[in-house]
Amino acid sequence: MIRRFGRISLLLALLAALQPAALADAQPGSAAPDFALPAASGGNVRLSEYRGDVVLLAFWSSRCARCVTQLTALDDLQTTYRSAGLVTLAVSVDDDLTRATRFAKSHPARFPLLLDRRKGVSRAYGIERLPTTVLIDRRGRVHSIQPDFRGIDNSYVAQLRALLDDPL
Amino acid sequence: MRIARIHGRQRSFAPLAPVLLALALALWQTAPAWSADADLPAVATSPAALSAPTAPAAPATTSASPAPGATGATPAPASAPAGADAATPADPTAPAADGSTRALDEQIQDIKQQVVDLNKDLFVLEEELLFPANTQVAVFISMDVGEFFGLDSVTLKIDNKEVSNYLYTPREVAALAKGGVQRLYVGNLRAGAHELVALFGGKGPNERDYRRGASIKFEKGVGAKYLELKISDRARKAQPEFEIRDWE
Repeated sequence: MIRRFGRISLLLALLAALQPAALADAQPGSAAPDFALPAASGGNVRLSEYRGDVVLLAFWSSRCARCVTQLTALDDLQTTYRSAGLVTLAVSVDDDLTRATRFAKSHPARFPLLLDRRKGVSRAYGIERLPTTVLIDRRGRVHSIQPDFRGIDNSYVAQLRALLDDPL
Repeated sequence: MRIARIHGRQRSFAPLAPVLLALALALWQTAPAWSADADLPAVATSPAALSAPTAPAAPATTSASPAPGATGATPAPASAPAGADAATPADPTAPAADGSTRALDEQIQDIKQQVVDLNKDLFVLEEELLFPANTQVAVFISMDVGEFFGLDSVTLKIDNKEVSNYLYTPREVAALAKGGVQRLYVGNLRAGAHELVALFGGKGPNERDYRRGASIKFEKGVGAKYLELKISDRARKAQPEFEIRDWE
């Protein structure tokens, strides 16, 4: 009886360990949860296709006043460091897709604005405040999560440049 | 009863304790002789290396590497001439160090290969544990389209329950168009009758939004079940065609 219980426990533990890694909360140092989202301009974008580049994920909403400032600042950053391998992806958490699409058209950016209608990606990255940015290194690992993004300062640029300097 | 017997065994060992202690002492005294025979670097065991100061040994290793010029001449570092005389007793350390480095490197390569093999075995085990053949059902997708359909998404429902919703990027569509086959879904189903419904979304002729569905009723038996979603152009009607095949 005890042996049987032990075998069953071992099997359950083994099965739990072998469960495929579903979307889980992202933490610095952990693998960035992969996702595919539709872009407001059309087409789909998958995060894992940017492995090898530094990815800046920016979560925003059309209802968030500071998000407009954030997107403008990120647009400048993207222009500066695009050739060094920086990719910016802006993920909208709006419930109203029409509103989000209208916002995207009225604020054109040099990076895709993605629509996370089901909030799966926002949950995977544990987004609780807006705007929030997530830096992902060239190996696909979360480097840092900056909730309540208040602008691009020197320390943020230094972090970004360190990631860009990583040759992989 | 059992406890009494154990105590009985302990009492019977008591007279042997002094004998065992003597044996242990004898073994301990002979231990240094055994370690001298062990395969250790010469520096640790040879009396000359033990009595020589450590400083000359360091330049000896640097002068040992350019072996033909190991007389402490110009190519060697500045400290080498002083230590050149001490090179002789320390020379055996260089081949021993190389040998141990090589062995270490081989060990590392072996461990790497073991890790790769283990990873492969774990992957196979994971597939077999999570999706055993008697309940496994897998759905694949292939595409043979050119101008009539631009694939954007596929949603799968088995027995009216959504099991997969996949968005395709331009790269993935290009890979499918080149002849790639993607395993879209793998899961478990009990034996019996089931129904698969696939919904295809994308751009149809004239770049209009296009949404079509296809369904199949299949019987899940003892072995694994494989189904293929096939998208192809139908030139006669200038429309894409969607079908689901059962790999018998």
